[in-house]
Amino acid sequence: MSLLVLDTISKSYDGVRALNRVSLTVRAGTIKGLIGPNGAGKTTLFHLISGMESPSSGTISFRGVDITGKAPHEIAALGVGRTFQTIQTWGNMTVVENILAGMHTRIRGNFLSCGFWLPWIHKGEKGALQEAKRILEFLGLLGRWKWSASQLSFGQQKMLELGRALAMRPKLLLLDEPAAGLTPAEVKKLSEKVCQLRDQGITILVVEHHLGMVMDVADDIAVLHNGELIADDTPEAVKKNPRVIEAYLTIAGG
Amino acid sequence: MYTGGLWLISLILPDPHLPYRKELIKKRDFLYLGALLLLPLIFPNPHFYYVMVLAGIYAVLSVGLSLFLGYAGQISLGHAAFFGIGAYTTAILTTQYGVTSVGAFGMAAAAATAAAYLIGKPILKLKGYFLALATLGFGEIFLVMVREARGLTGGVSGIFGVPWFSAAGFTFDTSLKQYYLVWGVLIGLVLFAKNLVRSKMGRALLAVAASEDAAASVGINVARVKLGVFVISAAFAGLAGSLFAGVMSTASPDAFGLGLSVLIVMMVIIGGMGTLYGPIFAAIFLTWLMDVLGGYQEYSLPLFGVVFILLLIFFPDGVGTRLNARLIYLISYWGRKRRRERVDR
Repeated sequence: MSLLVLDTISKSYDGVRALNRVSLTVRAGTIKGLIGPNGAGKTTLFHLISGMESPSSGTISFRGVDITGKAPHEIAALGVGRTFQTIQTWGNMTVVENILAGMHTRIRGNFLSCGFWLPWIHKGEKGALQEAKRILEFLGLLGRWKWSASQLSFGQQKMLELGRALAMRPKLLLLDEPAAGLTPAEVKKLSEKVCQLRDQGITILVVEHHLGMVMDVADDIAVLHNGELIADDTPEAVKKNPRVIEAYLTIAGG
Repeated sequence: MYTGGLWLISLILPDPHLPYRKELIKKRDFLYLGALLLLPLIFPNPHFYYVMVLAGIYAVLSVGLSLFLGYAGQISLGHAAFFGIGAYTTAILTTQYGVTSVGAFGMAAAAATAAAYLIGKPILKLKGYFLALATLGFGEIFLVMVREARGLTGGVSGIFGVPWFSAAGFTFDTSLKQYYLVWGVLIGLVLFAKNLVRSKMGRALLAVAASEDAAASVGINVARVKLGVFVISAAFAGLAGSLFAGVMSTASPDAFGLGLSVLIVMMVIIGGMGTLYGPIFAAIFLTWLMDVLGGYQEYSLPLFGVVFILLLIFFPDGVGTRLNARLIYLISYWGRKRRRERVDR
């Protein structure tokens, strides 16, 4: 079953074509890797899926619902979680508050009921705190739950961002270069977590420069080059695909 | 020398961002409450009461703005207009339509809320300088409207003889009674704000301030959160305006100008962004400062500016934040000492 379907998506910025008629499907319960040289349009594709930008043409559907042109918070509420290429944790909150804020749509309450601290608000907060601690335990951050998020190391902040996305119980998780800037040990740990999440039933789409990691964890890999999809296959097949090799060699050869 | 000064001060005052235990925070709150109740008995003179009434009204304003500016990270240079809307709503309803003070108090909040909703919907899409300019424009438009609608607002001279605030047959006609009225209302509103900031909405405010993209990525409706907190902080200002009309017994346009809007922003910044008690301390401090400097006539404004700059240099994260932290530190120190004595015995 396809969880996410991109149908002939194009995106241009003032005449510069970032994506050209890209069609892509992500099967439920799998990890899909998205690779490509710099400027291939990977991040643009992510922004289109999460609603931060809308495509010039084509449609995106998630679980059979057309989400093209919907606002980011609406798409998130449907069950699409994401992390960012540059860390976007909230440094003005503690670690556990970052996770709790990730549960925003799942906790009851609005400005008035929260301000008057009505009975269900207290109950919701208590339950949420317990779940947040479980998520932090999964990521190995429980020992720092009361720290300010800005005091965490780079790798820990990346983990925290993952935790924040998990807190919304996403059906689809978009990871934008999760391994960038991590030490080899951290990358290994991250790969394990990502596989565990897939086994829990979360579908994952990961953009990554760290080819080793993608080859390890991904069930399928799609390759973008100059805004076009040049391959979409199993890791083994992609490795041998002449167009992929050519694309990467061209870049490497300058 | 600059960092040297900061270092010296940080020696005296502990880091305000330490996580504190709940029971300490509770003890501190009781200390503040006790101080508020006892202060009028310690300084039994009408001038003290008068300044503290004014400080309490400014504190309501600054706590409200703290939610919008200190927590959600949005700037408003037009909050005096909501204050004015509250004051004029109260003045007009009580003098011309015979509405009770309590009724007018509620209507003041409703009027400020409605105005904030209508204004906020279009202008909260703006950010930073543009939002500052748009809110500033709103404040000026409000002043022009008040001056021109003479039939309703009394024009430049304003409305006089607004009846004292009264509730259930009890009239707050002395400045001591008004002291307890204003600070009582403030306590209620601070409780509301405290609940708000420790709930999911408070986290949404901080999230919007730190990264709107990240906030939207977890399903937070950024536009709705901004509008909601703008409306709530306007409601606080409206209630403050209603109190102002009810205790000063007048409403005239020069009380609601840009000067006041800037003053509230200063209270939040001096008090400490992202805190609730800080702006209250700052409101008390700045009101007293204005009262003292008022004696120096034309030098008062430059002196005020100098004090403001010194505060920003030496307390970059807010005076209130530091005072607050210092007090909690003292409480915890006393607590430790007492516990140790008990163990020794």
